[in-house]
Amino acid sequence: MIVSELILPVLLVTFVLVLGAYLVAVLDEAIAGALGMPRATSVWTAPLTQGAWLLTQQANATEAPDWRAWRLAPALYLALAAIGLAVVPFSPTLIPTDLVTSVVLWGSVEALATVVIFLHGWSANTLLALIGAYRYVALGLSYILISMFVLIGVALPAESLQFSQVVASQEGLWNVIRQPLGLPLFLIVGLGMTFWGPLNLADSRDLAGGTASAVSGPPRLVWNLARAAMLVAFSGAAASAFLGGWLGPWLPGPVWMLLKMLAVLAVLLLIGRLVPRVQPERCVTLMWVVFLPLSFVDLIWAGVEALL
Amino acid sequence: MDYPLIVDVFFVLLAILAVVSGWRVFCTDSMVRASFFLLVSFIAVGVIMILLAAEYLGVAMFFMMAVEMMVMAIFMVMFMMNPAGLNPMMMVHQHKFSIAAGAAVFVVLAAVALLAEFPDTPLPGDLDPVKSLGNELLGDSMLIFESAGIVLLTTMIGVVVLSSHRGRYGAAEEGSMPPGLVPGGDPAGMPEENDEGGGHHHCH
Repeated sequence: MIVSELILPVLLVTFVLVLGAYLVAVLDEAIAGALGMPRATSVWTAPLTQGAWLLTQQANATEAPDWRAWRLAPALYLALAAIGLAVVPFSPTLIPTDLVTSVVLWGSVEALATVVIFLHGWSANTLLALIGAYRYVALGLSYILISMFVLIGVALPAESLQFSQVVASQEGLWNVIRQPLGLPLFLIVGLGMTFWGPLNLADSRDLAGGTASAVSGPPRLVWNLARAAMLVAFSGAAASAFLGGWLGPWLPGPVWMLLKMLAVLAVLLLIGRLVPRVQPERCVTLMWVVFLPLSFVDLIWAGVEALL
Repeated sequence: MDYPLIVDVFFVLLAILAVVSGWRVFCTDSMVRASFFLLVSFIAVGVIMILLAAEYLGVAMFFMMAVEMMVMAIFMVMFMMNPAGLNPMMMVHQHKFSIAAGAAVFVVLAAVALLAEFPDTPLPGDLDPVKSLGNELLGDSMLIFESAGIVLLTTMIGVVVLSSHRGRYGAAEEGSMPPGLVPGGDPAGMPEENDEGGGHHHCH
C-alpha cells in the first residue's frame, strides 16, 4: 500500500517533472535556433552545461535580504509545480493523487504561486526584484480569475471537480472543440503563471531580470528549473482539461498524455519566442477588459451547452 | 478507530505548525512576513480539514487564504508608513488590553472545547462532500449565501471605483482639475495666483 500510494506517485511526478523541465529547455533552444537566434552548439547538452555552470557559481548576496524566504521561494515554486502535476491523471488507473477536488487544488496552486513569486522578489531587498514582485501580484489576480472561470467551464459537463472525471467526460468530444474559447484562455493563464514569453513581466529584461535579478548560482538554477517544471505541470493540466488527457486510439493512455503535454509545451514555447512582451499597464487592461469577459462568455457557453 | 495511525500523527504535526506559525505572526517585525506566517497557519488548518474528509473546504481554504493574505499584505504595505514592508517595525500595540482579551478568549474557547457536548454522528463512508456542499449552498441556505455574495460584490465594485485611476475630474496621472463654476471658466476652488509669475494670459 505504501509503495502504490506514496512511493510510486512520488517517483512518477519526479520523473515527469525532471524530464519535462529538460525537454522544455531543449525545445526552447531548438525553437530559438530554428528562428535564427544565436544558439548553442548542441541543443541536447546546452541545458545541462548551463545547469552545471550555475551549480558551480557563487550564490549572490544582497544587502539585508530575508534569507529564509529568499532561499525557500524557488524551492516552494518547484514544490507547487510538483503538487500541480500530482493531480494530473495519466490513465484511468495511473493517477498520482486522485483527489475529489483536484481541479480546485490546481486553482490553489495558481493562487499560492502568486504568493511564492511575490516572496521571491520581495525578500531579495532590491529595487528591480521588488518591482517585478508587485507587477506579478497586480497581474496574477487576473490570471487566477480567468483560470477559475475556464476551469468551472470544463467541470460543468463532467459534473465533477476531479480531473479524471473531466477527462472521462471528453470521451465523445474533447473540450477544445466543445468549448473553443477555453484552451486559448487557459494558455494565456499558463504563460502568465510561469511568466513566460509575452507575459514575462515579473522576470523581464526591462527590469534586468526582475525577481531573479539578484539571484545567481544554485538558487538561480532551482528557480529556472522550477519555472520550466511549472510549465510542464501546466501542460499536464491543460492536456487533461481540454485535450482529452489519456483518450486516443492505438497507443496506450500514458503515451497519449505525454504526447499531448509535449504538444501544449511546443505551442507555449513557440508563442514565447514569437510574440513580443506586452507592456505591463496594457496587459492589466487586456486581462480585465478583454480576456476576463471572454472567460465569462466561455462559462456561459459551457453552461448553455450543459443544459442542452 | 477505523483510520490509520498516520492520520493522528499528521494531525498533531499540522496542529503544532498551525499554532507555532500563528504565534510567529505576533513575533515578526514585518507586515509581509506576518501575513505569510498567517497563511502558513491557515494552510495547516486546511490540511487538517482535508484529514477530516472536508475535501472541498480544505482545498478552498488554500486558494482563498493565498489570495486573501497576498492582497492583505499589499494593502497593509500601501497604507502604512513602511515602504515595501521590509523595514522593521513594532507589530503589536495596546499590550495590556490585548493580553487580557487573548486570555479571556482562550478561557471561553477552552471551556467550550471541554464542556460542550459535541454531536457524535459518524457520516457514511460514501458521502460526497462536494455534492452535499452544493446542495447546501443552493438549497436551504441560498438566501444567506446570495445576500452575502451581493454584499461582497458591491464592496469589490466600490474598491475598484475608489482605486481606479480614472478619477471624477480626469485621469489621476494627469492631475485632477475640478470644472469651472461657469461653462469654460477657471477651475473652481483653486488658490488665487498673482499676476506677475502667472503668465496665463496668452495672446495667440
